[in-house]
Amino acid sequence: MNNHHFRSRRRFLQLMALGAGGFVSPGFARDERLALLTRPVPSSGERLPLIGLGSSRTFNVGSDPQALDNVAEVMRYFFNAGGSVIDSSPMYGSAQPAIGYGLAKLKRTQNVFSADKVWTWNANEGHEQIERSRQHWKVKTFDLMQVHNLVEWPSHLATLQQMKKSGEIKYVGITTSHGRRHDEFVDIMKTQPLDFVQFTYNILDREAEQVLLPLARKKGIAVIINRPFQRGDLIDALETKPLPAWAGDIDCYSWPQFLLKFIVSHPDVTCAIPATSQVPHIKENMAAGYGALANKAMRKRMIDYVEKVI
Amino acid sequence: MANWASYHISDFILFSEAVYYKQFELYNQAIWPMQLVAIVFALSVLYAIYKRPAWAGRLIAGVLVVSWLWVAAVFMYRWFYQIHVVANGYALGFILQAGLIFWYGLIKNRFNQRLKNRFGMALVSGFLLVAILLYPFIAWLSGRSWLQFEMFALAPDPTVLATITILLLTKAPGVLYFIPALWVLISAVTIYAV
Repeated sequence: MNNHHFRSRRRFLQLMALGAGGFVSPGFARDERLALLTRPVPSSGERLPLIGLGSSRTFNVGSDPQALDNVAEVMRYFFNAGGSVIDSSPMYGSAQPAIGYGLAKLKRTQNVFSADKVWTWNANEGHEQIERSRQHWKVKTFDLMQVHNLVEWPSHLATLQQMKKSGEIKYVGITTSHGRRHDEFVDIMKTQPLDFVQFTYNILDREAEQVLLPLARKKGIAVIINRPFQRGDLIDALETKPLPAWAGDIDCYSWPQFLLKFIVSHPDVTCAIPATSQVPHIKENMAAGYGALANKAMRKRMIDYVEKVI
Repeated sequence: MANWASYHISDFILFSEAVYYKQFELYNQAIWPMQLVAIVFALSVLYAIYKRPAWAGRLIAGVLVVSWLWVAAVFMYRWFYQIHVVANGYALGFILQAGLIFWYGLIKNRFNQRLKNRFGMALVSGFLLVAILLYPFIAWLSGRSWLQFEMFALAPDPTVLATITILLLTKAPGVLYFIPALWVLISAVTIYAV
């Protein structure tokens, strides 16, 4: 254990203490060492925090008042830790209304990076669905609208480009997950003007390193990473394994931090969007956006270790 | 529809087990006192099956039609659709089944036929009693809140199970089994996936 390790540990504990209070002081936010790390969106230069918030499954809570309040509480900790990017989809059941409930309760409808998706096989229904989603979120406009899993992408992309031109949305993107339809995804990245792409990448699913991530860098497209924990399976597989002592060198003190830090340390990743419905987990997740990032050698070491113990 | 081929069933089960069963609790609280009507429905079906009055077939068919329509419109569309984007499709399936039962049981009055095999009759009757009398207690027996109970005529699983047993008891044609059997599969996959 060296001095750097102790300094990192102290920074992490400071973050946790502040998060536990549900409060981040202005001084905390101004301290560069304690600021949530950001990367720029290549098409605009706007900087986004490395850690965002997904909503698949975890925010789909129906109309249960207690569960809706819990969602709002998770969002409170997310925002207090410096987060801003929240991602959802019409496919996620009641997740959009739950986000809208949280934003309204926290008075954050004007102060969130809203990322949603269009997901309908009806080529003419895209605009109408986006409007419904916007009403659920209770936001004026969406920052980012993505074509979910490339469903009906030619017509929806045309709609989104039109909406971007008219100022209804700021950015246009496409998404996939589980390595699904990567060839078609690559073709679209090569031929269509895109601000964002979203796909799966984690310490075990690294196919994206071969083509998608380098292509995003080459084309100047921001990258959002979904399923960073393989829908929780990675955490389940690793939670009984020892975290290596050297994880402290990159400010990681839990497996979720370790796994997220691996992802966001990739220079071509703009943001990862882990989903959770639990306040302790959002604290761990957000902590991965602080402190030292892993260099290439460290990332290799992280892969080797996980592949060895899993 | 090539897009659908790239999906797995788990991609559509985007809710947790707790949220799934909580929906039953919220639903049961919201529809009270419909549970009293459901009890009357359940007792009517048992009476018609075992006492065999002349109008038994149409009574059973009528109860089933109303039950399938209720589950479609209120449970599937009003409640389950909140958390499950394909539940509106399930609702359509339940409406279609209500139509088939209406045609076979009410118009053709064919729910009057009975299984003759005594062992088969006893076995199927056992399942009917499970669907109607035992099912509401499964939530409590499995350690969940008793408010998450599922009742015949109000919740899909006991309604479908009771329907299948009635179809067997009345020797109904195969076409009436398709949607209930499909629902058994869907429900099993859903419970497995959550």
